[in-house]
Amino acid sequence: MKYLILVLALAATPAVAQVTAETANPLAGKADAIEAGHALFGQMNCAGCHAYDLTGGMGPDLTDNSWQYGGKPGEIFHTIAEGTPRGMPAWNDKLTQDQIWQIVTYIQSKHAN
Amino acid sequence: MAFRRFLLGAALVMATPALGAGDTAPANKSFTGATANLAPGDAPGQWTRQARDYANTRYSPLSQINKANVGKLRIAWTFSDGQMYGHEGAPLVVGDTMYLVTPYPNIAYALDLSKAGAPIKWVFQPNPDPRSIGEACCDKVLRGWAYADGKLIYNLLDDHTVAVDAATGKEVWRTLLDDVTKGPTMTQAAFVVGNKVFVGSSGGELGTNGWFAALDVKDGHIVWKALTNGPDSTMLIGPDFKPFYPWMVGKDLGVSTWPNDMWKQGASAPWGWVSYDPDLNQIYYGTSNPGPRTPSQRPGLNLWSAAVFARDADTGAAKWAYQFTPHDEWDYDGINENVLIEIPWKGARRKVMVHFNRNGFAYTIDRATGEVLVAEPFGLQNWAKKVDLATGMPIVNDAAHPIVEKKVENICPPDIGVKNWNPSAFSPRTGLLYAGVFNSCMDLTNHEVRYIPGAPYDGMEMVRHAGPGGNWGEFIAWDPVKGKRIWSIKENLYVWSGAVVTGSDLVFYGTMDGWFRAVDARSGKVLWSQKLGSGITAAPMTFLGPDKRQYVAVYAGVGGGAGVLRRENGFMPGGNTLYVFSVDGMGIGNGTTQLVSHATAAAPISVPPAAAHN
Repeated sequence: MKYLILVLALAATPAVAQVTAETANPLAGKADAIEAGHALFGQMNCAGCHAYDLTGGMGPDLTDNSWQYGGKPGEIFHTIAEGTPRGMPAWNDKLTQDQIWQIVTYIQSKHAN
Repeated sequence: MAFRRFLLGAALVMATPALGAGDTAPANKSFTGATANLAPGDAPGQWTRQARDYANTRYSPLSQINKANVGKLRIAWTFSDGQMYGHEGAPLVVGDTMYLVTPYPNIAYALDLSKAGAPIKWVFQPNPDPRSIGEACCDKVLRGWAYADGKLIYNLLDDHTVAVDAATGKEVWRTLLDDVTKGPTMTQAAFVVGNKVFVGSSGGELGTNGWFAALDVKDGHIVWKALTNGPDSTMLIGPDFKPFYPWMVGKDLGVSTWPNDMWKQGASAPWGWVSYDPDLNQIYYGTSNPGPRTPSQRPGLNLWSAAVFARDADTGAAKWAYQFTPHDEWDYDGINENVLIEIPWKGARRKVMVHFNRNGFAYTIDRATGEVLVAEPFGLQNWAKKVDLATGMPIVNDAAHPIVEKKVENICPPDIGVKNWNPSAFSPRTGLLYAGVFNSCMDLTNHEVRYIPGAPYDGMEMVRHAGPGGNWGEFIAWDPVKGKRIWSIKENLYVWSGAVVTGSDLVFYGTMDGWFRAVDARSGKVLWSQKLGSGITAAPMTFLGPDKRQYVAVYAGVGGGAGVLRRENGFMPGGNTLYVFSVDGMGIGNGTTQLVSHATAAAPISVPPAAAHN
């Protein structure tokens, strides 16, 4: 049931791509965004590639400081929204802009710096 | 300090065989009386298919390299292919040519063994779709390639099978088998019998629906294709299908043993080895774990996941099947190799297959009927009390059931099993099988997941740890009749390489920390070891060169599922080098008889110095 509601909520509002590499994360450091991003990280099967502790497996480690497609919040946003040529799916048709920022916030929360 | 003493103790037992009492057999006598049909009976020096024969023995009759001279094995030549994903296949040698195929992007090389240094004859670059990179669960590997009818035939990660002219390196045909953007990939080693090439899908963690297909060797058209879950008609299950155990008998069990339509994402992908049985004209292959890996979401037996199929090699009609792990809760799979042998059994000879399952039991199964004759643990496991031979069902330990959002500690083995796809070898001389195995457990927390096409459909969060002794791996000799170990060699990390055994009773295998070893097949004594440039997760092989000299070859390029240990001490960086060994490192153009080449010839200089750099 929980999933059904989520799916309905996702059906509309594709992520709008006015975000640039320099765009600041509007949710940076917010506890509720971190929690929501954590939930989405499991629900959208991100953990299947990047592991539940984000240290990678099938996909890259998200806890180190090596970013193939840039580690600024706006760059991480774009990687999630549009995918990459090396296997990361595009999520802009499945997640709202807010939800993508929530996942970015969660990933940022796992970084020491 | 106590910890240090423990470590020291562990180090001392490494590479020292433990021989069971009373398990010695004199030279040239078999331990078990087991034999094998080594069809198609290639010339002894050739290696034209991954496991050398249809039965999947990986036995070579060669004996030039023997216990007396194996200590003098040295590198004859090497070849780096430049690709950094895990290397898992064995080279093929057909005539005077060696064939290699890299992991993604699946580049094929033909090397001319008749010339000094085995130079490249041709290179073939198939350029598979890079979107496949993100869909391969366990590194971007390829487990092997096949030679037949003057063609090199193999799978591409992007769900094509391709055939290349073995003389010229030109593409002959390429057949599309699935849609990589939805999750399936192809990493399996194509297997050829007669005019058919057998291939299967990968993607046990991607919500795929597995399939197995036979293609025509001449033009690549699909002769038959069988799903591994679904209605009987889509699985080529008909009147010939006679499973031995009644719980696998019924109509459309590939649908009714799943909730709703979950079989459609139920994986059961046949990504492992294929064997062929000329006596019964049957092929055998296994299926992967069910999807999603979280079992609470898919109550039921989940047929035909984690199972082995016997099919008519011509029509694909299913003959029997056996599910090793009903309702697989731990990702134990069923894709490991099925080695076809004959054993003495209750006063008669039985045609059987031996299968080391990830679940920790080694099964000896009648290959005409699917009856399980022997099912004994070959390593550390605690998920099942035993396999009940009356029903064919495992008796599951209650404490081993995973729980959603709760950590269940110390389930043995973890998802990757007591042995993974890394193929074993069988010697008709000793009557034993030889296998690299794992000694480990997991703390498992399950999560419910939902299906998103092209994304993992998984749900297992786990921490793996080494089992008793602290060593992650072992290499063992196994008696398939009594179902027991004969000897074992402890290793620091998982032993995730294949094995080859020879007519001189030598077994070769490699370790993840880069040691390539030769072992006495009877005693388990390590006779020779050589440190290579990367960990070994490929299968070794042996062949006679055009110079009639015996060589042993293995890729060092750690990767694939073995990457789960990438943070352990001793795990080596990736690599891509094929190492070829001979006694004293001799070979065409090597050593004191070195060929006078362009590099060494004292020719008069008639070329401007700058041109020499071109």
